[in-house]
Amino acid sequence: MKAKTEARRLAILKAASEVFQEVGFERASMSDIRARIGGSKATLYNYFPSKEKLFFEVMHEAKTHELEEAVGALNAQTTDLRQELLHFGQRFLSVLYSPEAMAVRHLAIAESRRSESGKLSFERAVVPLEKQVAEFLRRFMKRGMLRTGDARIAAIHLLTLLESELWLRSLLGVLKSVRTEAIQGAVRRAVEVFLSGYQRR
Amino acid sequence: MQIRKSDTKRQAIVETAYRLFRAQGFDKTSMAEVTAQVGGSKATVYSYFSSKEELFVECMMAALGNYMPGSLKHLDGSRADPRAPLLNFGSSVLEFICSTEQLEVRRLIIAEAARSGTGKLFFDKITALRAQLSAFLAACMALGSLRQADPDLAAEQLGAMLEAEMLEPLLLQVRENTPDRNETTRAARRAVDAFLRAYAPSSWPALQDTHRSN
Repeated sequence: MKAKTEARRLAILKAASEVFQEVGFERASMSDIRARIGGSKATLYNYFPSKEKLFFEVMHEAKTHELEEAVGALNAQTTDLRQELLHFGQRFLSVLYSPEAMAVRHLAIAESRRSESGKLSFERAVVPLEKQVAEFLRRFMKRGMLRTGDARIAAIHLLTLLESELWLRSLLGVLKSVRTEAIQGAVRRAVEVFLSGYQRR
Repeated sequence: MQIRKSDTKRQAIVETAYRLFRAQGFDKTSMAEVTAQVGGSKATVYSYFSSKEELFVECMMAALGNYMPGSLKHLDGSRADPRAPLLNFGSSVLEFICSTEQLEVRRLIIAEAARSGTGKLFFDKITALRAQLSAFLAACMALGSLRQADPDLAAEQLGAMLEAEMLEPLLLQVRENTPDRNETTRAARRAVDAFLRAYAPSSWPALQDTHRSN
């Protein structure tokens, strides 16, 4: 078997992404994906041992990118911290609580004993995100708008508060999809309590 | 969740099934195997639990329910100064949640919940347990030691903040060592302090900056 190449891997991911979008996860098959890129089924399986694994990679890549954009848009120069956090929270939860991201996170925990995907995804996506949010909050601590303290913990508390009404419901399948208005409410309540706890008075 | 101590057969079924579910997961465990290990007939097992799903929920909730009273008793403390009761409750819950056994239970619950439709059952039971924290917070709000707010939301937020630093990394095995009591206590303190500042009554300046997190 030929050595794996990054170009080939990306081509598979692209094809898989198209197939998933066109027919959905359930109806997508490894054969459809292989048909789109050519080559043998053995080669495809050599890159991705299962449809689940492929789905995870495709969605993880897409969602990580969207999360990076959301956190990248944080404007540390703003004078309206509340508005900035509301805006960020809305984007953050819209990405995380899209059906695809919910499925990926569920899979990551469900498969964590058998697969390293969840661990890798946490290290690649969550850790840098926490760092950037911490960096953002640290600026406001320096400017005296937030209480001085451990910015990493503040970031973790903020991100957790944003998710607090949704995380368990989503993982337990009680919540299958989240409407934009529901996200707005959750973000407003989370930001309010975060600022009450962290704003300098 | 209640296992009546007199009901030894029922308890034997739950204990055996719990062991099997933990060792091999939901799919690979069958009612026949549970029956074979407990002894007796399949009909007997089914007279206690009408389906494997029901037995699964019972087992997982027993693992939670048998311990929770220990944590919840801390909420008998003073509502006039909720910091100590909440710290004790928080440390105790966090230590429990981060134990290897409970992490395994969580993973099993999450893996199964969406597929077998048991998620709602778990969610309701977890909500029922959290109701005791809500009741404590509501009493504090009534007394003025916390500001007026939705106690259910506050309980949900406190729960999330307690778990925030450790649960997801542990579930995903980003970290594998179980946090020791020292670490869980410190995380609980950071969560409780942030929570108390957020819910401090406006006329209660003492809570604002006296308890610094470290």
